[in-house]
Amino acid sequence: MDLKNPVEQAVILLRSRLCNPNFIFTLFSDSPDSNYSKLKYIISSSVTESCNNSVLLLGPRGCGKLAVLELVLEDLLREFPDMISVIKLNGLLHSDDNCALKEIARQLCLEHQLAFSKMASSDENSQFLIAMLRECGLAHKTVLFVLDEFDLFAQGKQRLLYSLLDAMQSVTSQAVVIGVSCRLDADQLLEKRVRSRFSHRKLLFLPPSREDLQRLLEHALLLPSGSDLPHEFVANFNSNLLNIFADKKFKDIMDTVFNTDSTFKQVLTFLFSALCHLDLKCGFLSVENFKDALSNIQRQPKLECLKDCSILELYILVCMKRLEVREHETCNFNSIMKEYKSIHDSFQTTDYYARDVCRRAFEHLLQRELISFLDNRGHGHSIEFRPVKLLISWQELYQGLKSYGSCPAILYKLVERETTT
Amino acid sequence: MAETPKKRSKQTPEHQQHDLSSSNAITIPATPVALDPTPVRRSSRLYTNPTAATAPPPPPPRFTRRKSLNFTTTTPTPTPTPKTPKKPAPQSQEDAAKQISPISPDRYETRRKRKLDEEKNAGLAKNKDLKGGKKRVYYRKVVYDGGEFSIGDDVYVKRRDNAESDNEDPEVEECVMCFKAGRAVMIECDECLGGFHLKCLKPPLKEVPEGDWICRFCEATKLGKNVELPVPPAGKKRARTAKEKLLSSDLWAAHIESMWKEVDGTYWFRSRWYIIPEETAAGRQPHNLRRELYRTNEFADVEMESIIRHCYVMNPKDFSKAADEGDDIFLCEYEYDVCWHSFKRIAEISNNEEDAEEDESDKDWNSCEITGSDSEDDTDYKKEKINGSQRGPSFGPSFGHSLAANLRKGQFFGLQKIGAKKIPEHTRCHKQTEIGKAKAMLLLACLPKSPPCRNKEMEEITAFIKGAVSDGQCLGKCLYIHGVPGTGKTMTVLAVMRTLKIEVDSGNIKPYCFVEINGLKLASPENIYRVIYEALTGHRVSWKKALHLLNERFSNGTNWEEENNKPCILLIDELDLLVTRNQSVLYNILDWPTKPHSKLIVIGIANTMDLPEKLLPRISSRMGIQRLCFGPYNYQQLQEIISSRLKGIDAFEKPAIEFASRKVAAVSGDARRALEICRRAAELADYRLRKSQSLNDSAGRSLVGVADVEAAIKEMFQAPHIQVMKSCSKLSKIFLAAMVHELYKTGMGETSFEKLAMTVSCLCTSNGEAFPGFDTLFRVGCKLGECRIILCEAGVRHKLQKLQLNFPSDDVTFALKDSKDLPWLAKYL
Repeated sequence: MDLKNPVEQAVILLRSRLCNPNFIFTLFSDSPDSNYSKLKYIISSSVTESCNNSVLLLGPRGCGKLAVLELVLEDLLREFPDMISVIKLNGLLHSDDNCALKEIARQLCLEHQLAFSKMASSDENSQFLIAMLRECGLAHKTVLFVLDEFDLFAQGKQRLLYSLLDAMQSVTSQAVVIGVSCRLDADQLLEKRVRSRFSHRKLLFLPPSREDLQRLLEHALLLPSGSDLPHEFVANFNSNLLNIFADKKFKDIMDTVFNTDSTFKQVLTFLFSALCHLDLKCGFLSVENFKDALSNIQRQPKLECLKDCSILELYILVCMKRLEVREHETCNFNSIMKEYKSIHDSFQTTDYYARDVCRRAFEHLLQRELISFLDNRGHGHSIEFRPVKLLISWQELYQGLKSYGSCPAILYKLVERETTT
Repeated sequence: MAETPKKRSKQTPEHQQHDLSSSNAITIPATPVALDPTPVRRSSRLYTNPTAATAPPPPPPRFTRRKSLNFTTTTPTPTPTPKTPKKPAPQSQEDAAKQISPISPDRYETRRKRKLDEEKNAGLAKNKDLKGGKKRVYYRKVVYDGGEFSIGDDVYVKRRDNAESDNEDPEVEECVMCFKAGRAVMIECDECLGGFHLKCLKPPLKEVPEGDWICRFCEATKLGKNVELPVPPAGKKRARTAKEKLLSSDLWAAHIESMWKEVDGTYWFRSRWYIIPEETAAGRQPHNLRRELYRTNEFADVEMESIIRHCYVMNPKDFSKAADEGDDIFLCEYEYDVCWHSFKRIAEISNNEEDAEEDESDKDWNSCEITGSDSEDDTDYKKEKINGSQRGPSFGPSFGHSLAANLRKGQFFGLQKIGAKKIPEHTRCHKQTEIGKAKAMLLLACLPKSPPCRNKEMEEITAFIKGAVSDGQCLGKCLYIHGVPGTGKTMTVLAVMRTLKIEVDSGNIKPYCFVEINGLKLASPENIYRVIYEALTGHRVSWKKALHLLNERFSNGTNWEEENNKPCILLIDELDLLVTRNQSVLYNILDWPTKPHSKLIVIGIANTMDLPEKLLPRISSRMGIQRLCFGPYNYQQLQEIISSRLKGIDAFEKPAIEFASRKVAAVSGDARRALEICRRAAELADYRLRKSQSLNDSAGRSLVGVADVEAAIKEMFQAPHIQVMKSCSKLSKIFLAAMVHELYKTGMGETSFEKLAMTVSCLCTSNGEAFPGFDTLFRVGCKLGECRIILCEAGVRHKLQKLQLNFPSDDVTFALKDSKDLPWLAKYL
């Protein structure tokens, strides 16, 4: 490690920090009002007081629901070794009741070093689950069921949720069901009888506020003074960083990031990307790095698609646009070709391609999802006759044409004329 | 019996009269004769009897499985070998555990005449007649050597043969100070368990103090001082009571599982051992109580000869009640698995279950004996029943490994592995706060004995079942119970069944069998046949076979032995789940009760009131005759439910309970919800108190108030979308505002992304915000859709994507009206 450049070391350290949710969220775990301490209180009280609870963690994606949960679990596993077993399920994988029961049985067996059989029927698995819950409860062991994408478990008859929550009504069992979902109305999806058994602890995870964000920046990017990095370098790096934080330009950049999407996830990706732009020779972060990162993060996929289009494809798009403005409810390849021909006839453009070529361009546009079929019906029909729709608005088209290097002037004019009328 | 003279014979009648729990109160020594200075006890016979070595070989060797702790050193002793007497000198505990040889019940001795109460168990005496003297004869109760022992009693068992210290067995403990027993009242130190006369204490106490009391020696040791215990006067050895010997592992305690007389007339019992904390792998833990024992999962057949006398091992509840009942009471809360060295709580309900199982096992035993079938299955079964353990036979670890745990062949293998390596300390914190107690009482799991406020319904169900069971011939024995969730339907029925069971036991009603099924726990509706059949007979067959057999039983009344033809009560919870396309399952189940010989009674429970009307007429005519409605609780009832649980716990303010019950009654009348709200409120109050304690702020109220309940309701049942809207990013707020604006402008709930983007860009340009571009805006919309703040189509539709607010526009207005970073939004809302 000594051979390495301190800059490289610093970058490695910072990157590993940004990728480690535990590090990021320990910052917010100390205050008693944080979700961390609330969740820990709920779980640890059900461990120590041997009661059953069910909790929902709600909040938009990227706000650290699972990260905080992991942090809590890690702490609790350390605090109460050998008394907690965690069963993790994901709604995307286990929304089928039988499959979920099997997975629960598998994980329980794994946890307790029991032999597991794939052959067991779901009936047996559910009886096994109840027996295990009872035994674990008698042995003062808490079983935590973490159901990620909880909303997907609430499909169908909700047999799994019912049997879990019903088993939790017995005296001997000691279990916590933790549902994680980004749907705010997840508890409304539950059936009446399931909802009645659910104990309705809800924790809401919100995007960070401005102040939290500022703390997060300093927490994540400032180098620690006590590490094996050269002291002088650390001091310089940090003072440089503090200068950047105070910079007006930097603040504007952060505002732009924050205005669109203020979740932890977004901010961390942004910082990571900025770190990747760091110039190893200079060794310090600069405002330029952040600016690059911003352009990196705010991609405009449709506009970029337009940039890649050929002239012919642009013609087709403009034709469709003209047809749309003229309130042709539906257009298909044939009507587009007619329009294309009329443009060609009236403006005497040089670019006139054969029908086959046009058709290839049309298919290409379909694949790029700049246009799409209106509906899913009529798979049997040939492409020419199926109605299509433009997926981009005229502003986007206009912008795209403007930024297109060798766009024929006529196209530009045509679109402009449409917009003015 | 020469050596156990009058004293014993005198005591016997007394013992019989007394209730077990009250028979030996130490404070009032009932038998001063016991202090006879020449304690020649029956144990001395073991080595004074010269016939031991020359006796004929013992009856077929039985497994004597009292192994020492370390399980590799099992020493089977099939032949009687004269043992060198061991010194009872106090050894270190581990040594003691390893050195002691297993009791050898094979040790032969001269038989004596014993007094037996054979008529006590008429049912079992029948076996004896049948088998003559060829087989073992089992007893419920045996009077042996002057003591009366019955199944389920706990006894002291000799650990070593020939131990000299066993000779003395003072029934009454001596005072630590004056070394006399005497009649004076004694007090027990909670630390060292030594007994003290009240008058011997310095200063002397007038009466037994409340709560814990620690003697001054222990107090001094705690402070780190050197203490000299009073030395007994010369020539008098301090007599150790059986309790002390047990706790220093010189004796064993055992639970009698069964008793029998061998062919040769010796009396044996099957013991389930207790173990003291020192002998476990974890050792004595600081929070172990002094009088704590663990029940093991180990059994052995021991001769009755080695029993010394009764002791009383109780569960914590009884133990705390029996605080001053004598010296031989012990606490047992946990079961210790000797193979896996793990602890497990003993389930509180086990008492009832065990009783029930016992009854059954007796019956099974009978039938086995009568038919004389000794197939392998049956012997296995018998073995299991002998074990009497709830978890069935304890398989060795090697056996358990080969079988999958979740594959059920009658039972789950390997569950005995689960257990705590140590008993966690927090379970022994008895200093629970009032709020803590309240929280425990408010748990959904903590069911009351009888549901409050459901007396009328209970009576109706009782009347229905009684009528159906007793007269037997009425048609349509079907009850449909409906009501919204959380109104105590299942609980009430189960409570009724419990009370009826007591009546059955006392002989008022004919016996019946009870099968409980939950429709939502069946993998498919057809499986119900299988479950019913298994519950009735214990055999597992496919559902088609089961249907066939059940049809035979209920429709034709054939193929069933007379004795099995008890009425059967079938409780089906969540009945609506059994509705199949052609409704044949429901039809079958509801049709059986109408058959003349079926003796089947069906109680169906579901939420919907009009379930019978939704079904085919032939089903509703069978089900819809008798109905019982569980209405939602009103607020007084909810209040009563909550306060009945919180009786004697001073944690809630009265208005708080009323507030919670009124709130719930206004919405659903769901008792679960009311309990959960109260529990959450208690949690919040607890959390608040802890916080204020950590800040050294004692101002916080210690009761759960209305404010806590309100906070709990708000947290649990308020949709969180307003908070999310308030804290979402700037662009999302503009997006939402544009949606509301669009809604007002067009009056249409639904809009498309293209239109919305136009509105957003208008809003942005007229208020000096930078328009972020369509793609960014699109992403923002999708994020909002993910949280279901708006409803939107899949993202591939891009411009054509349809959008709609998922909440009333007023909510958005409320959330965004005074947002600080975008003051201009209010204009458009």
